[in-house]
Amino acid sequence: MEFGYMNKWLKVNLTLKEFKDFSISEDILRKYVGGKGIAVHLLWKYVSKLEEKGINVKDFDALSSENMLIFATGPVTGTRSPNSGRHHVMALKSPLTGSIGSGNSGGRWGAKLKFAGYDGIVVIGKTEKPVYISIIDGSVEIHDATELWGKNSIETSNHLRNKHDKKRAGVSCIGPAGENLVPMAVIINEEHRAVGRTGLGAVMASKNLKAIIVEGNSKPNIAKPDEFNLKVKEHVEKLKENGVTGEGLPTYGTAVLVNIINQNGMFPTKNWQTGVNPDAEKISGETLTEEYLIDKHPCWGCVVACGRKTKVDKGNYKITYTEGPEYESIWALGGTTTINNMAAVIKANHYCDIFGMDPISVGSSIAAAMELNEKGMIPEEDLQGIDLRFGNADAVIELTWMTAFRQGLGFWIGEGSRKMCQHYGSPDLSMSVKGLEMPAYDPRGAKGIGLNYATGNRGGCHVTGYTIAAEILGDVDRFTTEGKAELTKIFQDFTSLVNSSVNCLFLTFALGLDEYAEMIGPITGWDVNSDELLTIGERITNLERMIINKFGITGKDDTLPKRLLEEKMPEGPSKGQTVDLDTMKEEYYELRGWVDGIPSEEKIIELGLK
Amino acid sequence: MKIFVKVFASLRKKYPNITDLNPLEMEIDKGTTLAQLIARLNFNQEEVKIILVNGLRASVEDIINEEGSIISFFPAVGGG
Ligand code: SF4
Repeated sequence: MEFGYMNKWLKVNLTLKEFKDFSISEDILRKYVGGKGIAVHLLWKYVSKLEEKGINVKDFDALSSENMLIFATGPVTGTRSPNSGRHHVMALKSPLTGSIGSGNSGGRWGAKLKFAGYDGIVVIGKTEKPVYISIIDGSVEIHDATELWGKNSIETSNHLRNKHDKKRAGVSCIGPAGENLVPMAVIINEEHRAVGRTGLGAVMASKNLKAIIVEGNSKPNIAKPDEFNLKVKEHVEKLKENGVTGEGLPTYGTAVLVNIINQNGMFPTKNWQTGVNPDAEKISGETLTEEYLIDKHPCWGCVVACGRKTKVDKGNYKITYTEGPEYESIWALGGTTTINNMAAVIKANHYCDIFGMDPISVGSSIAAAMELNEKGMIPEEDLQGIDLRFGNADAVIELTWMTAFRQGLGFWIGEGSRKMCQHYGSPDLSMSVKGLEMPAYDPRGAKGIGLNYATGNRGGCHVTGYTIAAEILGDVDRFTTEGKAELTKIFQDFTSLVNSSVNCLFLTFALGLDEYAEMIGPITGWDVNSDELLTIGERITNLERMIINKFGITGKDDTLPKRLLEEKMPEGPSKGQTVDLDTMKEEYYELRGWVDGIPSEEKIIELGLK
Repeated sequence: MKIFVKVFASLRKKYPNITDLNPLEMEIDKGTTLAQLIARLNFNQEEVKIILVNGLRASVEDIINEEGSIISFFPAVGGG
């Protein structure tokens, strides 16, 4: 494939300390585009291979050396098309959920991987001692990383950039939480950008792979440069003119959502006991901007810059420089725990970044522990003197680092709220789907996002299909269940395509499928239209579903915590609401051509997945 | 009739002190529409993208009926 791609993938077998290049044929690229799509395709092939070997993928341990870890870019990554510095990472299995592992990250690592000469990396096996991989101008080396083990994400990145004398290199690494195999560990790149969800940092750590540094001067060729440049210009103009991407996100970051979600009475508070937080203003985007913001901070090639450079000048949580927090981290660490203290959130988020953990799962699991404690379910000796009340900021900070180092109650928090709540005898208090902690929108206030959480392949996740854009930020009736099946399906399939392109999902506030055709077409030279792209998205969503079906995950797992199905929202603008999931789910399966959460034979054939 | 107004994000450039915790208390006539209220606050309708009355979506033609209503005004916002 001449255009858009580097035409080279790297396969690393860490057990054998061997690596080799391989390529992906054009017909496969046309079917899956890149990024997540290609990763899902490779994982599906790997499942067949394991099955041939007689390995039962259902019982397969996510931290075993056989787990496959894939770093992937797409045709748009690293081009002049806006916000294209991102990359997607997947693992066959997540140590947190037991479902598929999947995450997407900003930063510049994705673009730099292509400049180094590769579209993606597949890692299997495990070394005896810690190693890191360098890919610099097409040259691959595996190095000893003993001296890096124990270092946090900032130290690791700085060390490697200095050692290789590449000041602008991309570094993806794990922190101490990953090394300690915390199931909610992340892979960090550029110190503060994370492949955030499903514990991929623990998978990387289980291979004894500390980091991958990438740098180079190659560039993907563009099939139709004139047309491409024209479209880039048009897309940038659209992004500048759009209220969300041109003003809201650059000025306030994603935290601009705190107030609007709370005003709708769906800002999950006290482990989702209510959707109203009277003090949300204290942790809002407006407060962050006024009191803590140093500057905005874009990823590579980004014209939006939702990232934040922040500091806390005084008090117990003083910090001279960090990045973030974004909306989800603020909510998880500061909202559902009800600490409502921005300085403490910034500190806890900084710990998550440097130790390498997912702030959504950390904060949400701490909030679940707070409710367990409120209900008297945690024995005194397990609390070790921590005052685990909702609203206690010091407890959140303390438990965040205890989670990274697997200390005391931090061990259970790190296992995730599902296992922790089971352990303490109240499984219903885990606000998770398929073992993944849900993010910051209570679906009792917007029904479509509930269907999306329930049906997401990787679990309770908003960026699988962000229906909030229509239900809260757009004009779609948020309480009705009508039409939500179709809305969810379209959002999910479009997102699969975005994550395969690979660029930033926030573009979709201003750019639709037609604009994606205007990027992918001129870059690759393919004659693509929006219908074909949406079908590609659908194909990827379905193939990912076929993989999780192999793990025994089916319709019974496409559900929501009992609280959302049965407990009426107690107060505020969403008062009295529950989620009528069954009605939406039935319609959704019908639209998807799924039977009990499993793609039908006809659907598999229709999408060319046979 | 007394109402409470809250403004958010870039709309605070005009009213930096009106927050969720410190809403603006206003007297309005019965029958006032949201469009009229927007004009009274010196906003133009294009900059106000989302209006909530007591947390529920409303449009500019809607009349404010209830004493003590909380009216929240937002510009275009988004994130994830
Ligand atoms: S909008 Fe935010 S997440 Fe997206 S590329 Fe820009 S800075 Fe990164």
